[in-house]
Amino acid sequence: MISPIIFIILSIVIIIAAFLSLYFRDLLACVVSFSVLSLVLTVIYFHLDAPDVAIAEAGIGAALTTCIFVIAVKLTRRREE
Amino acid sequence: MRLISLLSVVFIAGFLLVAVMRLHPVGEPLGNRDVFRFRGDTVTDMRNVDTMDDYFLRNGQRETGSNNIVASVVFDYRGFDTLGEATVLFIVVCAISMLMSFLYNQNYVMEANFRGPDEFPRNVSRIISFGSFMLFPLIISFGIYLVLHGHISPGGGFQGGAVMASGTALLLISLLITRHVQRTKVIFSFFESLGLTVFISLGFAGITASFLYNFLANGSPLFLGRTIPFGPNPGFLNSAGILPLLSLAVGVEVFFGISIILIQLYHFTRYASRAGGGRDI
Repeated sequence: MISPIIFIILSIVIIIAAFLSLYFRDLLACVVSFSVLSLVLTVIYFHLDAPDVAIAEAGIGAALTTCIFVIAVKLTRRREE
Repeated sequence: MRLISLLSVVFIAGFLLVAVMRLHPVGEPLGNRDVFRFRGDTVTDMRNVDTMDDYFLRNGQRETGSNNIVASVVFDYRGFDTLGEATVLFIVVCAISMLMSFLYNQNYVMEANFRGPDEFPRNVSRIISFGSFMLFPLIISFGIYLVLHGHISPGGGFQGGAVMASGTALLLISLLITRHVQRTKVIFSFFESLGLTVFISLGFAGITASFLYNFLANGSPLFLGRTIPFGPNPGFLNSAGILPLLSLAVGVEVFFGISIILIQLYHFTRYASRAGGGRDI
């Protein structure tokens, strides 16, 4: 079982990553911070005794979504006005 | 307009907070706390069953022969919903293939990445290319392990298929992929359709009882029907009936479907950058 202190720290990291993915003007940096969010969320799922959801989050959230977003950024604009 | 969006955010947040208050404590079922105490009877045990998850936790291992209760719920008790999810993915792949179909009509050929047969691709660092290429078989092996052991340990068709598809993304990064996008699409779409067809056929195979009935569980050990001891056990590959077969079908479908999406999007970036549309990152 995860200790509450580590849990709170991971939750704060998730909130910071979510805020940064909205804050950045560089869309590639947004995608990277979104990927960090998914990765930390994987750790939280694993420690909440949900390894099935953790594997799905690691495969889809951290890998495939990032790949598709990078392709989309490459096809459009990198900077947000 | 701002007021409306603020009100909707507050509304949705309120609903989510109410839902959070009804969640389980971590590691405990919602209804009866000593649900594990009675597990292991030979008949369907309905004593003190308050909610559906009490029923699953107490009878799932005996009825389906699967150690992983999540897999038994996903592929057995709620197999019809899984069929719906697989169909949704299939339709998404069909739609993206239809949007990208111009890749096959005009005489599009991906430009060569290689200078010679023993050379590495031009446009990417050699370390990244070789590293991604060497990671690819490891990722694929881990995905196959997740799919085949879905009824024993955490994992299953969707998770294993997604992990294998991230291996395809690694192969795209390494640029060591085939130039024949049309041939790739034909082969991959055949296997994707095969996965979904096998799923539906297995559903109809037990149609005498019900659709997606687990007719192989607790039968002959030769046909995945081994009866497992209750509670903690080492895990047996030949248990759980049609669950591993359904997991394999979903894994094949997810892997080839998401791989088709990734490969077509990647070829579209190459096509657009040659036409002057895309920008280099």
